[in-house]
Amino acid sequence: MTQLLQLGISGLALGASYALIALGFSVVYRASRLFNFAHGELLSLGAFLMTALAQVLPWWLALAATAALTGGLAALLERAVLRRMVGRPVFTTIILTLFLGLLLRAGIVIAFGADTRGMPTPWDAMAEVQLGDSTVLLSSLVSLGATTVVLVGLHGLVQRTPLGVAMRASSENQEVALSLGIPVGRVLGFTWFLAGATAAVAGVFLGMFPRSVDSNLGYVALRAFPAIIVGGLESVVGAVVAAFVLGLLEVLSQAYVNPHLGAFGHNFHAVFPYAAMILFLVLRPRGLWGEHEVRRV
Amino acid sequence: MPTRPLVIRYEDDLKLLPGAWHKAGAVLAVAVALAYPWLASARWLTVGNLGLVAIVGAAALMVLTGFAGQVSLGHAAFLALGAYAVAVLGGKLGWPFWLALPFAGGLSALVGVVIGAFALRLKGLYLAIVTLGLVFLTQHVLLAYPDVTNGLSGTAVPMSWWFRDETGAGGVPLGGTWTVGGVRLTFERKLYFVFLLLSGGAVWLTRNVQRSDSGRAMMAVRDQDLAAEVLGVDTTRAKLQAFGVSSFLAGVAGAMFAFQQQYITVEPPFDLNLSIQYIAMIVLGGVGSVFGAVSGALAFTFLSPLAETVGGAVPLLDQLTSAQQATVLLSGVVVLVLVREPLGLFGVWLRVRRYFQAWPFRY
Repeated sequence: MTQLLQLGISGLALGASYALIALGFSVVYRASRLFNFAHGELLSLGAFLMTALAQVLPWWLALAATAALTGGLAALLERAVLRRMVGRPVFTTIILTLFLGLLLRAGIVIAFGADTRGMPTPWDAMAEVQLGDSTVLLSSLVSLGATTVVLVGLHGLVQRTPLGVAMRASSENQEVALSLGIPVGRVLGFTWFLAGATAAVAGVFLGMFPRSVDSNLGYVALRAFPAIIVGGLESVVGAVVAAFVLGLLEVLSQAYVNPHLGAFGHNFHAVFPYAAMILFLVLRPRGLWGEHEVRRV
Repeated sequence: MPTRPLVIRYEDDLKLLPGAWHKAGAVLAVAVALAYPWLASARWLTVGNLGLVAIVGAAALMVLTGFAGQVSLGHAAFLALGAYAVAVLGGKLGWPFWLALPFAGGLSALVGVVIGAFALRLKGLYLAIVTLGLVFLTQHVLLAYPDVTNGLSGTAVPMSWWFRDETGAGGVPLGGTWTVGGVRLTFERKLYFVFLLLSGGAVWLTRNVQRSDSGRAMMAVRDQDLAAEVLGVDTTRAKLQAFGVSSFLAGVAGAMFAFQQQYITVEPPFDLNLSIQYIAMIVLGGVGSVFGAVSGALAFTFLSPLAETVGGAVPLLDQLTSAQQATVLLSGVVVLVLVREPLGLFGVWLRVRRYFQAWPFRY
């Protein structure tokens, strides 16, 4: 039971980071109808920026600056490259964002070097908290809390503010939104800014102990894909919920499923979400909350 | 002046080489391909062999993505299956390579059709992510049975008796070099001609798929699957055929790659990056045509060593490893092509051809 609670919290903390990643993918998909494979590199960039900025700025200020800078870069990418891709086939945008990701990764290696870094934290990096019988990393709790705050804040922004209404309107139908006087271009830019900023925050928390910051951190975003697909590409809420489930599933399957599979179980938890996703999609091809597309020929 | 041969009969539309341009191009291509191994240095001969492997792999992806419109990030999985199939069949069971090669393709095709059946209900990005998952699952399975695949440390890929490197006096390997009537046939050269035959076959096969009814059914599915179904196209069959042909050729390409490398590991090369590279090839060449697959594959393979040469001379880039430099320069080229020339090299070729055909008039 103690172990279950402990695993549950670390699973939720992992799920929280996945949720931030999934959120970024999902809002960008809703706004631009493209799947941003460069998202993982934005996350990695955020983590590296944080390690550099935390040296000169107070921690919270550095976090804000990191989020703002990464978000700015994401908005710039959208404006400079991806907006030209409107109306092009799906694989064009896939390949373009994949290669933008490769370029970003190389840029990160050039700017920050290939060395592994530790993520600075204002608290002791290995500090633990006693919860009943179980010990939990303080970083896990903070990341869980911070993610919840960000998610609730974004939910409020999208549901309650005029900007949120504009975002929802432009993702629904860009032409109608334009004709109603919504500056769709700027809204798109802001959406990408949000995606970049949340990616950076996710990167900062994913880089904390026991993990570290290196140039392969961006691959973590690949691990969040099953959540986005199972949740349904069109549904932000679905993606976030599925991301938490995914985090739990990954940690719990590592503890409870791997040992029963013998040699096959080694590292099985890393691919288990993908296997689950493939089976799930056979039953529901558009994910849990994905909209069933109605088309006219 | 007509810019393409006049098509008045159905048979004209089905011709393998419809015009004088195509015939001239085919003759030129065959001549260059036959002369290449005698002119190129050892290093460029290796690049040429890799290029021929890439042609088969790109043709395979072209059938699935270019003709049938099923975006797949799982190409690396099929290549890995083919490569490991010949390694295991040759190494553990002692099969000769000409027997193991089609078997590798067959195994890969079997897996492809099964995955295709899973993928029937999925579209676009959903399919892309599922096939991405296939890469991870394949890697996991290959690493999980070290008794068969030798796990992380990789496995040697034996060639058949007449390819095998002979060991001379004192254990010095002779590299399987033959001298036939004053002509030196090195291992790489022998490999080149076998590969040339295989990739020629693959190109011929994909071209036949493209111009036959099954290929047209795939294209109908790509352009508008609902309309295709209404018009009586069996979309299930078209998709499964595309998956089958594509994964068969991908398995063969993987097997060829394994023979060329002689020693393979799971990761690298069989990871997401490999899938990305193959997508880049068909995008670079131009999606939807066999010419695109061939030119994209060749452009991509021949650019890589060039990029490594250039990369060291560029400031900032010289901090990276040579593989990373090549990646950066190639990514730059691909991004530029995508933004400026959506049809890829095929589009460039169309414009060049149109210019000369209309000369001295501009359109």
